[in-house]
Amino acid sequence: MTSIQTEPRSGSRSGVGASVPRPDGTLKVTGEFAYSSDLWLDGMLWGATLRSPHPSAWIRSIDIGPALAMPGVFAVLTHEDVPGEKFYGLEHRDQPVLAVDQVRYQGEPVALVAADHPETARRAAAAIIVAYEPREAVVDPRRAAFDPSCPPVHPHGNLVRHQPVRVGDRFQAEVVVTGEYEVGMQDQAFLGPESGLAVPAEDGGVDLFIATQWLHVDQDQVAPCLGLPKEKVRLSLAGVGGAFGAREDLSMQIHASMLALRTGRPVKIVYGREESFFGHVHRHPAWMRYEHGATADGRLVYVRAEILLDGGAYCSTSRAVVGNAASLGVGPYEVDNVRIDAYGVYTNNPPCGAMRGFGAVQACYAYESQMDRLAEACGLSPVEIRIRNAVSQGSRLATGQVVDSPAPLAGMLRELAAMPLPGSTVTRRSITEPSSAKPSSAEPVPDLRSLPGGVSQTTHGEGVRRGVGYGVGIKNICFSEGFDDYSTARVRVELLGGEPHVLVHTAAAEVGQGLITVKAQIARTELGIDKVTVAPADTSVGSAGSSSASRQSYVTGGAVKAACEAVRERLDSLRAGDPELGLVELLERFGPVEETREYRHRPTFPMDPVTGQGDSHTQLALCVHRAVVDVDVELGLVKVVELAAVQDVGRILNPVALEGQIHGGTAQGLGLALMEEIQVRDGRVLNPSFTDYLIPTILDMPPMRLSILENPDPHAPYGLRGAGEPPTLSSTPAVAAAVRAATGLELPRVPIRPEDIALAAPS
Amino acid sequence: MRVHIDVNGERLAADDVWEGESLLYVLRERLGLPGAKNACEQGECGSCTVYLDGLPVCACLVAAGQAEGREVVTVEGLASGDDLDQGLDEVQRAFVEAGAVQCGFCTPGLIVQAHSLIESTPQVPEDADIREALAGNLCRCTGYEKIIDAVRLAATRKAQNKAAQKKAPR
Amino acid sequence: MRPFAYQRATDVPSAVAAGTGQAMYLGGGTNLVDLMRLGVATPEVLVDVTRVPFDTIEETPGGGLLIGAGVRNSDLAAHPLVLRNYPMLAQAVVAGGSGQIRNMATVAGNLLQRTRCSYFQDITKPCNKRVPGSGCPAREGDHRNLAILGHSEACVATHPSDMAVPLAALGAVVNVESSGGPRAIPMPGFHRLPGDAPERDTLLRPGDLVTAVELPALPFAARSRYRKVRDRASFAFAVVSVAAALDVADGVVRDCRIALGGVAHVPWRAERAEAALRGAPATAEEFARAAEAELAQASPLPRNAFKVPLARNVLVRTLLDLTAREDLTAAGDTGETS
Repeated sequence: MTSIQTEPRSGSRSGVGASVPRPDGTLKVTGEFAYSSDLWLDGMLWGATLRSPHPSAWIRSIDIGPALAMPGVFAVLTHEDVPGEKFYGLEHRDQPVLAVDQVRYQGEPVALVAADHPETARRAAAAIIVAYEPREAVVDPRRAAFDPSCPPVHPHGNLVRHQPVRVGDRFQAEVVVTGEYEVGMQDQAFLGPESGLAVPAEDGGVDLFIATQWLHVDQDQVAPCLGLPKEKVRLSLAGVGGAFGAREDLSMQIHASMLALRTGRPVKIVYGREESFFGHVHRHPAWMRYEHGATADGRLVYVRAEILLDGGAYCSTSRAVVGNAASLGVGPYEVDNVRIDAYGVYTNNPPCGAMRGFGAVQACYAYESQMDRLAEACGLSPVEIRIRNAVSQGSRLATGQVVDSPAPLAGMLRELAAMPLPGSTVTRRSITEPSSAKPSSAEPVPDLRSLPGGVSQTTHGEGVRRGVGYGVGIKNICFSEGFDDYSTARVRVELLGGEPHVLVHTAAAEVGQGLITVKAQIARTELGIDKVTVAPADTSVGSAGSSSASRQSYVTGGAVKAACEAVRERLDSLRAGDPELGLVELLERFGPVEETREYRHRPTFPMDPVTGQGDSHTQLALCVHRAVVDVDVELGLVKVVELAAVQDVGRILNPVALEGQIHGGTAQGLGLALMEEIQVRDGRVLNPSFTDYLIPTILDMPPMRLSILENPDPHAPYGLRGAGEPPTLSSTPAVAAAVRAATGLELPRVPIRPEDIALAAPS
Repeated sequence: MRVHIDVNGERLAADDVWEGESLLYVLRERLGLPGAKNACEQGECGSCTVYLDGLPVCACLVAAGQAEGREVVTVEGLASGDDLDQGLDEVQRAFVEAGAVQCGFCTPGLIVQAHSLIESTPQVPEDADIREALAGNLCRCTGYEKIIDAVRLAATRKAQNKAAQKKAPR
Repeated sequence: MRPFAYQRATDVPSAVAAGTGQAMYLGGGTNLVDLMRLGVATPEVLVDVTRVPFDTIEETPGGGLLIGAGVRNSDLAAHPLVLRNYPMLAQAVVAGGSGQIRNMATVAGNLLQRTRCSYFQDITKPCNKRVPGSGCPAREGDHRNLAILGHSEACVATHPSDMAVPLAALGAVVNVESSGGPRAIPMPGFHRLPGDAPERDTLLRPGDLVTAVELPALPFAARSRYRKVRDRASFAFAVVSVAAALDVADGVVRDCRIALGGVAHVPWRAERAEAALRGAPATAEEFARAAEAELAQASPLPRNAFKVPLARNVLVRTLLDLTAREDLTAAGDTGETS
């Protein structure tokens, strides 16, 4: 179904451009791969966390006596036992390691236990007596943002960030469409729960084996809280069972370290699924009001938008999320007059932060819904309205930033629209087309499983209507707004068994995306040596930055490339006296060659706090989706028949891995459109389980048709463009638009549930 | 209590098992077999799928005592021999080759479930049958497309291997 | 999880002997193990009955089926007599859980599943079913998935089983063994409406062991259907489901059996709909009238009112399906097959 190149571009058949299999694949299919929850040491203890049942309360007292008295319990710790700084955080250190005198969300860690069996630890945690004095919880983000009488969640108030974007002054147009949209709270729902093993070291420090997205930023936060210098807090990446943003903030890192240092024994903490829902941030739910003005022929004149994001109890990455929502709030469209206000607020709801798409997802759902409304108002097709307003290289975004690399959106949309549509799901009660597949059979026999309701076989075709919808997304790649965003790579060439061998060492987190494969491919291409080993990621090499923002191929890929180039230069200079010298002889004579390089993308700049103007992003990536759905309008059931996507990735490094990223991102977007939502009521989570928080199964996912374009970005290594996030943006509005097309309903909120359709539709 | 289980063809015993432990916990923490994964421990994700007396089940919902004297095969038991790459089962090989593995946390459970589907189906299953058989295994990374590719590939190869074996002179 | 003693029973008498006091029977464990982990179920003794030899399916002299309590869901759904004589039962079983779950879950365990109401599952919250008298936050809170029929002030929970819905429609009989001797409890009465004692899901008394479920002979159930609406394509509990068997001759409904799932504290036998249909023309209008007769007694809560039209639509759809002239055994129409 894909039309992408698979030929390698280099001398090595396993270099850049080839579908090289994952080097950890065999370990993963045999069960030998060591995830953070698989680690085990003799004498190891198990940690457990006592969490607040209240979204907002004072803590009047904590009695750890009953827990300490239990056989098998080795330590019970509260905030008084935090050795160093009592607060941590990614952007703002506002989150207590353990609650200090108050709790601000349900699930906030209050105390820790180490015991010789996980069940003992859990029981001991439950035996701790905490006297809470519940107080009014701030649960309405609108109130938190705009009502001065709302109690402050933090002493500095409830506004985390307000980012305006202001350009132009013409806010009148022939055609005006408005809409209010909501996006529910989505969970990353990675499969490998938060876990890790902390081992006390002889030097008084701690060795932490952990599943994370960014070892060094963990180290930066863990060490001060332990009261240790950074060099005494050594982190190594354990196997990571998915991330999607949920491992950017700390979970059990400081807790396990505290317990290990206190008991002098290795301590492992593994969250269960329910605890995992409380142990990481979620995608910000959003309330958005949009007004689009256009000429009668569908050219955008202005966009006005208000975007409210509920950040929950602590800051996490809310500021950057607000920045993205604001700077990307009109989407990849040319418009001269823009007035956006994006707000992030504190409430006593679950903390929200990074998730794949990071602030761009919510806005994308709203602006794409608006584009469809505008198309209807102007009598244009959804594709045509987007083409008429599409950005291209040289366009100026609402922030004033000029798109300075290929952005062939109009062409992508044309290609997408030209892709063949899947045939109708033929049924006996709605046979409209002759079946060419089985000309001999008198009547085509449908597979009812392909209809809405699927294996439940709730229809033979009656009540089913088809819809087609489009979605376009634009996502910034790498960290933005002036962040010093870099990665470090150490590359060593040496002889092993008489053969040249490359060792690539970075601290970049392999979270499943396949960076481990890509790093080796780059080394092969740059050095022409096939034998490449990627060393385990740890803090003994410089920071690689986060495995987020679709940035690692770009930044760590760039660092590996730079280090390889430096190795090549060294080899060339060593060879200078004797150009005929082969690599083996060279290494025999001079020994291993090792170089370490940092790589930075072009600098970015802050957004002006009043106008939002500024070159805040280093790279922008586009993905477009077309969704075809069948909707059973009487039962409210949606079957996504096909999802097609066109994405420009600049340069394909590994076709199969890349397709996997697009497929996976698309699936998470479908999940947000149709089923995924953390239900929060009065600050309490109602569905912290995979029984009640539904993610797409294999039966929910349709076949996907991909077209992957390669229009190089001259600023990026190999011309590549980050690829992991854009498909997560565009698939949600595409599915929603298709359901609207099938039902004629407005559907202003995702996820769309059966009642949104069945109640509204005529029966 | 003491629990005896035939795991991957070997009679193993675990001592001091607490009654509330699951088969999954016993395998992972007492018998040194962490291949089956602990993703939800509620039977909702399939990551802990193992064979119990020949049928795939969620090991997280099997009480340790229920497994007494029974035969268990985990993902570790599907490969043969010491050379990992050579000894892979066709399902395992296909998952690597087709790009069906990303983070890999769902992989062991999917491989056991897919193995069961292929072993119990004489023909190469259709995509719809593959989807139906794997509906109890959640994956968050892949969108399932490459997983279907892998199962189709493994089933085709197994069918070919069987046909070749039939043809081969004895 | 609360500490408990584990005992293994090898036959019915030893199981019943062990099942005294705060004991619970462990079948497949797919619900009970989870509830124990959540702290919702706190038995002092767990009596493992998975080795009790009541795992067979036999034809009864009257032409019905006697299904052992320990029969695995996957075996039940694949049994040729179930598929031929009671297709709605096979369809309901495969609509529940996943293949892995069905390989463990038993008939008795399926019948005795506890509600999935989120307040019941969370021991930090009040729940009259879990802690009698503690209150029901669902009424004011999250009840989107909860009951529209037969609920009480004390409880608005739903019964989660798919399998129990066709059993209720068929009027299956639950065979029970106890220290006081055997009993036979017919469905749908086996499950209780909540009233003011929602802690009791069924008529079972402490120590009772379900040993079998007996299906009556009902020839027209060979033409029966189970249809389930859920929030995703598989592996989710019913929002609304329908089990129906229809006996139509000359365009007139001679007899029928109908039950609804996902709408009440019990698998809901739709007696009013059945009464309205018997003798009525088998037409869409009559089906709609019957559905409305049943649902007239619904008292939905604010956020589950959608279940009323949904139940109506899926019921009418299922009945129409049963009267359709096409060959209903076309490919893919035999229910889930895994």
